[in-house]
Amino acid sequence: MKIPYKHFVKHIDSKPSIEELSDKLFQLGHEHEIFDEIFDMELTPNRGDCLSLNGLLRDLGLFYSISIEKDIYIKDIKPFKFEFINDASHLCKNISFLKLDIDQVPKNYNKFLENYFTDLNVKKINFFTDISNYISYETGQPTHCYDSLMIDDYIRLGYQKDRCEFETLTNKKIYIDSGDLVFFDKDNKIINLAGVMGGKDTACKVDTKSVLIECAHFNSEAIIGRSLKYDINSDAAHKFERETDAYSHDFVLRRFIKIVENHSNIKNIELFNGNNEERKEKIIPFDFSKINNILGIDITENECSKYLQKLNFLIDKNTIKIPSYRNDVNNINDIAEEIARAIGYDNIKKQKINISVKNNFNQTFIEHKIKKLLTGEGFFEVINNPFVSDGTEESVVVDNPLDSNKKYVRTNLKNSLIENLLYNERRQKDSIKLFEIADLYTNKTRIGKRVIGIIASGRIDKNYLNFSKKIDINYLESILHKISYENLELEEISRQSLDSKLKNKIVYCELEIKSSIKFEFSYENFNIKHLSEKKYTPISEFPSSNRDLSFSIKDFSKCKILEEFILNFENALLKEVFVFDYFKNEKMNEIKIGFRFIFQSKDSTVTDNEVDTIIDEIISGALKYDSVSVPGLV
Amino acid sequence: MPDSKEDSSPKLIKEFGSHHPINQMKDSIMNLLLSFGFEIIDGPEIETEEFNFDMLNIKKSHPARQMHDTFYVDNKSSVLRTHTSPVQIRGMLEKDPPFAFISGGKVYRKDDDATHLPMFHQIEGIYVDKGVNFANLKDLIYKIIQSLFGKEIRLRFRPSYFPFTEPSAEVDILSDEEKWLEILGCGVVNPIVLENCNIDSNKYSGFAFGLGIERIAMIKFGVNDIRDFYKSNLDFLKQFK
Repeated sequence: MKIPYKHFVKHIDSKPSIEELSDKLFQLGHEHEIFDEIFDMELTPNRGDCLSLNGLLRDLGLFYSISIEKDIYIKDIKPFKFEFINDASHLCKNISFLKLDIDQVPKNYNKFLENYFTDLNVKKINFFTDISNYISYETGQPTHCYDSLMIDDYIRLGYQKDRCEFETLTNKKIYIDSGDLVFFDKDNKIINLAGVMGGKDTACKVDTKSVLIECAHFNSEAIIGRSLKYDINSDAAHKFERETDAYSHDFVLRRFIKIVENHSNIKNIELFNGNNEERKEKIIPFDFSKINNILGIDITENECSKYLQKLNFLIDKNTIKIPSYRNDVNNINDIAEEIARAIGYDNIKKQKINISVKNNFNQTFIEHKIKKLLTGEGFFEVINNPFVSDGTEESVVVDNPLDSNKKYVRTNLKNSLIENLLYNERRQKDSIKLFEIADLYTNKTRIGKRVIGIIASGRIDKNYLNFSKKIDINYLESILHKISYENLELEEISRQSLDSKLKNKIVYCELEIKSSIKFEFSYENFNIKHLSEKKYTPISEFPSSNRDLSFSIKDFSKCKILEEFILNFENALLKEVFVFDYFKNEKMNEIKIGFRFIFQSKDSTVTDNEVDTIIDEIISGALKYDSVSVPGLV
Repeated sequence: MPDSKEDSSPKLIKEFGSHHPINQMKDSIMNLLLSFGFEIIDGPEIETEEFNFDMLNIKKSHPARQMHDTFYVDNKSSVLRTHTSPVQIRGMLEKDPPFAFISGGKVYRKDDDATHLPMFHQIEGIYVDKGVNFANLKDLIYKIIQSLFGKEIRLRFRPSYFPFTEPSAEVDILSDEEKWLEILGCGVVNPIVLENCNIDSNKYSGFAFGLGIERIAMIKFGVNDIRDFYKSNLDFLKQFK
């Protein structure tokens, strides 16, 4: 909802600056952004009463002397003989229909009305609809205008029986589902999707001089979700979903008449009142000490009363009468929130808290012990989305999935981990060790089974002892044997169905994490990791390029120096370097040491020329050390 | 002549793996809260509407209950929990006050865009005792935020709306770029929720708070795209060793 700054200050005596007004709105909990001196408000869903200029001004009354527009038609209005049947009175307790006939449709609008359209860049539609839109902006109460000539003095509110086509006043054709709340005409034809949008056939036109204005209060449950369901952008639905003031109709319709009167001669005014519910005052006990207790503050009864009165709460002896538009205020905690907003949340001083209850430090940290074991062996933890395309008889089915490929909740971790492994293989990773811990569910039980899935493939490690060794079942077993787990089932996953041409074995294991798991190793002082200060560097999605370089060293003392030179060599394209091969030949007095260089650019695919230049630089630097050579280098 | 006795072999570097950064953040915050006296409780990710909504004073008309916001499963018999608050309801039904619970884990909402995921992680806490108030809540929130972002961090409390707390607040921190970033939601436990859990709201009061782990991890680690956490890319994961 957008409100220009100048619309606010027009009604505020002290004319605060835009910055001050912004601060006050934040203090009240009304989030917003400001563009070109227009406040774009984002209100919490409980504050339907603030979805209007007047609503926000009422709240600002806490800080300022404000004047809300109260220029209304005050004469008596004759009754409107009109047949209205309400078959959904529990969802629409109060409803009024106002019939107006005017002499002429005005060619121009008065300044305040014209300003609304220009200041907010709102498109004009026709005279009565324009006033309806303005009234909604000013008061928060949606109204709907029918061309009275298209209505045969009969309207029924009820539920649509069969799915039926309906064209809205914005020319959108929709199919209304059975059970939805709609207005019908005498021929049982839908004329309005209640609380959302009226129909094209009965809508006002630019030359409409006789109008029937519907002003209703709908239970939010009757409206919620329907504008989204039918993809209709409706200001009325937005307001009804957040609740409107059930007792404002007389004021709103009289304000409507007044604005019409300001623009044209009114020939006839008639009002039908279909209110089924007598006005009920909401009253709660005024207990200011309880308010102090809830907030941890110490304000006097007098201060408390003053704040509440500024918000139009009526204090009478020991009771508080809640304004009819405050559907969100129902108990003393709600009143405490009003006081907190008035004081400012940031102005409430914190009070030291010592939680003296005993906690269960004896929790089992089995999960963390397994994690520690695996990360110590080079495994990385992953977390996967649980939604999958294929299910089993036992799968939990999502009724409203994001798309058809996410219809089931997974019953194993294997498929997700295989996907993770292939994803990394496609990114030229030749040593992949992953695990995931998650709760798995079936439609048989709502208690999750805590499971760990472990998958690995490729080289055991990147150091010279393990570079040429490949992961297999024995490798995984050698790690997992440290956990005493009955029936440890390890499997080798075939690549045949995986669209993968690599030859590395894929090994997998899935275990239920049970408190009975015993560990044949121990970690002293096991602590949950403390908060770190690591900062992430965005990764490259461009392919990497590997180069291996082998050096011969005759003077063994130069080996460490060479290693240090190469491992510390820096270049923006050099992502990683490690020793993958080492052989010491005592007889030949020679060490052969092999380095793998991995190059990757953040901006493009790294070229051979770029790599060659860096490799040449490394070689020339290395050859400066005595007895170091590159076999085969001409 | 070379000295063959000198150890010339290169340093044997063993690659270590790591916990997922989201779990690192979750565990760290849980550990912090444990040190304040909270007790960890756990609950299912598939919940009844009663525990996920009704008991928490989330009315049938609340937008969060719509099919476009919540995942319903098995012919609307249950939901994928939209927050970890139902765990606290289970805890409150099991234990008499005073108590201080925290629960952390996966939650699900029907969102999928650059800044929202259908699955994300939350930690929520609740403390119920005699005389617990909003000013106490502020003290705890200051401790949590300062532990996470340092003593110098500037924060502000804004009025907000959660059906299960009243008054409710959202807490923002001021970033290095002088922008306010929303960091957590909190409030005084709504007496309706206490009564729903058979706790005498005239005798006991409490506060509750909830944090989105991804949001904090993004700020702490400097990750700009939430989806990076769930690509399982080793180049990404290796940065959090």
